[in-house]
Amino acid sequence: MAQAVPASVTRLIDEFSRLPGIGPKTAARLTYFLLRAPDDQALGLADALHDLKERITYCSICANLTEQDPCPVCSDEKRDQGLVCVVEEPLNVIAIERTGHYRGVYHVLHGAINPIEGIGPDQLRIKELVDRVASRPVREVIIATNVSLEGDATAMYIYNKLHGAIRVTRLARGLSVGSDLEYADSLTLAGALEGRQEMQE
Amino acid sequence: MRLSHLSLTYFRNYARLELNLPPGVIVLYGNNAQGKTSLLEAVYYLATSRALHATSDRQLINWLAKDDPIPHARLVGEAETQQGKKRIELTLLTEKTARGSRLKKEIRINGISRRVMDLLGHMTVVLFLPQDLALVEGSPSLRRRYLNITLCQTDPDYCRAVNQYEKVLSQRNALLRQFQEQGGRGDRSLLTFWDEQLAQHGATVVAGRYRFIRELEREAREIQRDLSGEHETLRLRYQPGFDAAAATDGQMSFDVADMGVSTLPQLPPKEITKRFVAALHACVSRDIARGMTTIGPQRDELRLLVNGHDLGLYGSRGQNRTGVLALKLAELAWMREKTGEWPILLLDEVAAELDHYRRSYLLERIGQAEQVILTTTEPDLLPAETLVDATRWRVTDGTIDTALAS
Repeated sequence: MAQAVPASVTRLIDEFSRLPGIGPKTAARLTYFLLRAPDDQALGLADALHDLKERITYCSICANLTEQDPCPVCSDEKRDQGLVCVVEEPLNVIAIERTGHYRGVYHVLHGAINPIEGIGPDQLRIKELVDRVASRPVREVIIATNVSLEGDATAMYIYNKLHGAIRVTRLARGLSVGSDLEYADSLTLAGALEGRQEMQE
Repeated sequence: MRLSHLSLTYFRNYARLELNLPPGVIVLYGNNAQGKTSLLEAVYYLATSRALHATSDRQLINWLAKDDPIPHARLVGEAETQQGKKRIELTLLTEKTARGSRLKKEIRINGISRRVMDLLGHMTVVLFLPQDLALVEGSPSLRRRYLNITLCQTDPDYCRAVNQYEKVLSQRNALLRQFQEQGGRGDRSLLTFWDEQLAQHGATVVAGRYRFIRELEREAREIQRDLSGEHETLRLRYQPGFDAAAATDGQMSFDVADMGVSTLPQLPPKEITKRFVAALHACVSRDIARGMTTIGPQRDELRLLVNGHDLGLYGSRGQNRTGVLALKLAELAWMREKTGEWPILLLDEVAAELDHYRRSYLLERIGQAEQVILTTTEPDLLPAETLVDATRWRVTDGTIDTALAS
């Protein structure tokens, strides 16, 4: 059977379909878009992909993705190097940075403990965290893993490894800003009740 | 409570249905495979977000919908309850994912988007199916499913605990399998978190089941006595897969094989949790060797005993039917007591499975309910007293003829 579509086109379609959230139709649309796009746009994308894999490494201190080692956050002298916020994914760092209220540094685990998926402490950057706390002047570790069974399991594991040595805290759980009590789900509300705080002026 | 309006789009063999439902008894009749049971299922689904059988939910969406850009089914029910009117909207969508497609449920209650778990309890139903007769003789998982569905409708804490328990259990089992593959080596402290979670949620499940079974037995015993002409005494025996009552600190024996009648006293949940954790520790080597958790509510059993004999093992067909009927009617009475109002009753072809006496007894007991929806291929089998005030609708190929209402 003669091939109606050139091999290099089907190859790109196949590559796109392997991306999360992209089905065969979107993959084909993207491919034909790039085919018709000016050279610099299509090749720019190829370049960006190339750079991504060539230049990005893991920071030797916090394990976040970076182009320079140590990463800009870890080498920033104005940031409090004694305060370490532990997150599951690099995207979580961006979320916390957006608050504009955090002046400490990070530690990225690259996942959470999940036996079903075969992820244990050895697959995460937990050993690096323990070494970091032992070898650097860290005062406090803020655990900011997700509020899920797996996030809780990870938090508990890290707590057991670190407590006694330094202060270990966890993000508060409760209601989101602007939320209406009526629409809050019962579990969140129960958590907010449990974690209520003394009012202060 | 009762359902006043039902609207279906692409649900099973209903392409489109708008139906006003009166109170009292509604008889759906017609030949097989016309959509009688699917209508019951729609009501059941609005109440529990579960299909009648533990099979794939995906078949709920009508095959006509597959040509839609987004294949979906939609169910809307309006119920009149003691807490006022409730409008429950449920949309089923097939979502494309990397690994094929999966079913997504969207739920709105009175216009507000809710999670699946929050649906339970808004509309309560009790369902009688012909295959319920398998409840007595069938596998223990059927009886656990029965306990879960009934309890979840009235107890949100139980429902949450049972869902969490399942999740924790599969994580713990995965970890045990890893240890098993490594020949028992590995960091066992990793189990600590899952043990505690398992015990905490497990304690809620065990306590909920124990309370429910005890209350259910009280009702069921009376009904069985009526049904058997005072000859038979029905007992429900709860055999927990972890017996907190037997697990005192000093002695621990958890062989599932020699579990007797549980005498689980009213232990505080904290105490059950503590004993559960201790029991998990005690059998960790066995769990690793088998690569699974060998104690806990996932191995619970519920046995029905008549005059001291196990129905599942020694009961005659007739006795089993009486037992199941007593259990179901007890569930009805229990739910009414818990919620303060009649649940909606759904009966699928039950008349054909029961003899004249049991049928009359059943219909007499449920005659006082606010709303009963029952299906039958032979309406003539129903007693005249039931039919007199009933609404009769003929179901043909996904349409309901309400013009023939008598």
